[in-house]
Amino acid sequence: MGLNLETTIGRLKLKNPVLVASGTFGHAREFEKIIDLKRLGGIVTKTITLKPRLGNPPVRIVETPAGMLNAIGLQNPGVEKFIGEKLPYLRKIGIPIIVSVMGHSVEEFVKVVGRLESEKGFDGYELNLSCPNVRYGASATKTSARMFAHDAVMIKEVVSAVRKMTQKTLIAKLGPDVSDIGAMALAAEEAGADAVSLINTFVAMAIDVEKRRPVLGNITGGLSGPCVRPIAVRMTWEVHKRVKIPLLGMGGIMDARDALEFLIAGASAIQVGTANFMNPRASVEILEGLRAFMKKEKIGRIQNLIGSLNSDE
Amino acid sequence: MHRKRCLIVENKKTAPGHWVMKLRCPEIARAAAPGQFVQILCADTLDPLLPRPFSFLTADSKDISILYQVVGKGTKILAALKRGENLWVLGPLGNGFSICHLSTDYLLVGGGVGIPPLYHLARTFIHKNKYSPADIHVFLGARNKSLLLCEKDFKKLGVSVYVATDDGSKGHKGFVTELLLDRTASVGRKVYRTRSANIYACGPTPMLKTVSALAQKYDIPCEVSVEVPMACGFGACLGCAVKVRGWKLEAGSKAPNCRFAIGCVEGPVFQAKELVWD
Ligand SMILES: Cc1cc2nc3c(=O)[nH]c(=O)nc-3n(C[C@H](O)[C@H](O)[C@H](O)COP(=O)(O)OP(=O)(O)OC[C@H]3O[C@@H](n4cnc5c(N)ncnc54)[C@H](O)[C@@H]3O)c2cc1C
Ligand SMILES: Cc1cc2nc3c(=O)[nH]c(=O)nc-3n(C[C@H](O)[C@H](O)[C@H](O)COP(=O)(O)O)c2cc1C
Ligand code: FES
Repeated sequence: MGLNLETTIGRLKLKNPVLVASGTFGHAREFEKIIDLKRLGGIVTKTITLKPRLGNPPVRIVETPAGMLNAIGLQNPGVEKFIGEKLPYLRKIGIPIIVSVMGHSVEEFVKVVGRLESEKGFDGYELNLSCPNVRYGASATKTSARMFAHDAVMIKEVVSAVRKMTQKTLIAKLGPDVSDIGAMALAAEEAGADAVSLINTFVAMAIDVEKRRPVLGNITGGLSGPCVRPIAVRMTWEVHKRVKIPLLGMGGIMDARDALEFLIAGASAIQVGTANFMNPRASVEILEGLRAFMKKEKIGRIQNLIGSLNSDE
Repeated sequence: MHRKRCLIVENKKTAPGHWVMKLRCPEIARAAAPGQFVQILCADTLDPLLPRPFSFLTADSKDISILYQVVGKGTKILAALKRGENLWVLGPLGNGFSICHLSTDYLLVGGGVGIPPLYHLARTFIHKNKYSPADIHVFLGARNKSLLLCEKDFKKLGVSVYVATDDGSKGHKGFVTELLLDRTASVGRKVYRTRSANIYACGPTPMLKTVSALAQKYDIPCEVSVEVPMACGFGACLGCAVKVRGWKLEAGSKAPNCRFAIGCVEGPVFQAKELVWD
């Protein structure tokens, strides 16, 4: 039986719905010896900012039960070096490349995207509105929000400003620390986003009880991994009911069954994050698992699974 | 870099709280260089979640071995495993020690579970690079005699071994760096121009700091292997930051000239003079 795993995100046709999540896949080169990168549905790069960022002081990561906290602080070479040093390699892989970008203000988002617009060889943007480990400047402090993703007005401002600049697929990445994730997704949709990614990490904390000190150098960090998955699935389901644009679901996906939960809840594609650290082959194994499931359940097209939740609602 | 399901060939206690595990993985073993490490998934469950890094103690054509101390969740699980069971192993990873051919004195300084990679280094020097054991001087530190790792193994290689224990139950009572001082004072370039030396160190951070300072004082090239928390171990997460000398991010900025190196790729072995100690 020929299986069709194609899925669509905005203008982007993906040959399968398995992508890798920003910040968990280096700049892809790190994985070339262990997987055939061409098999992936797409790659989301580590978040890029206008200027280089050193990142946060150590300790940057700590394991927690069935999860981990990270406070990397968006260490990245800046948009110029990204274009010069990382993009040429990504371009050559020959699969959809989504560049994750972040600014400390609306203006900075516009500048980063503006610089990237003059380059070829990638297919879309994921706006990181939800990094828990950086401080936001000027326009973000107009409200009491801790990050853009916490405030529907700010989401609209960033997305519509970037929308005016690009024809490329535009994805807004939402954070989970909000009371109504559906409202945030709606704001992104209304401002012209082609899709939303969810979820980024939860703001969280671990304490060294002997030292009475936070374990992380940044005090707080982002929680990811299997411990967050049920919440991420619920949020995907909620957002799916609220917006028409496609969703990229993530949060603790370790295997194909986990990925299926997101697809059934309404995600058109999924991203593999923390699982890459335990098993650099996780993404392709998930893809193989999806195929095996489709064969077993006699489902020819993955589209027939997306949003297929049977509930008595 | 290979990811393999590896058979446990042996897993035995060698000192209180310390175990040696031998794993069958020819691909990793053949590629392993001293100072490099493997990431081991201690369990197939979600807790502990992340793999744990361990240096090579030995690597031959078929097997690798690691020497580990039981300190927490993951190592407790490892210690309970039996011969015949299997583990996921990723490696070899990281940047190891550089093999320098010009030196006449190789000074290896290790403390605690920093000793295993130095044993791998000494073995490689002798068996592969055909260096004379007489040129290799190994300085080992431990809390007490029973926790002194690999002493006999080093002696079997024929190298000179200098021992220090905190409680004086064996060798010099005090820090291993005090023993090193005697030697460096006599071979350091600033003092003794005709001899050259290289220092290789791995162990607790205070020890590494002292060794680095000594090396600088006597102008001896020095490489140290640092231990940082890791998630992936191969450059994917940027979780393993190590502060090193770098450049100014912005002209005129007051920030110091340093950057965060990726410990698992650029390290764990660094030139001592590159490191910025906080
Ligand atoms: C490159 C490299 C090479 C290494 N080589 C070796 C080697 O050859 N042999 C060896 O024995 N070890 C080695 N280590 C160290 C080894 O990786 C760790 O000891 C191991 O990961 C511990 O795992 P665990 O699950 O047993 O301990 P964990 O449960 O992870 O705990 C480890 C230690 O950290 C403390 N800790 C854990 N979580 C926290 C927290 N939230 N707050 C405060 N403290 C915490 C624990 O109390 C414990 O002392 C190496 C490390 C690196 C980076
Ligand atoms: C170490 C680490 C670094 C991350 N860096 C980024 C980043 O730069 N940009 C971003 O949008 N998300 C980043 N994330 C969040 C992931 O992309 C993902 O949203 C989150 O981890 C949830 O998925 P998971 O549980 O499968 O990891 C990072 C996550 C981790 C664990
Ligand atoms: S541990 Fe992940 S990059 Fe070093």
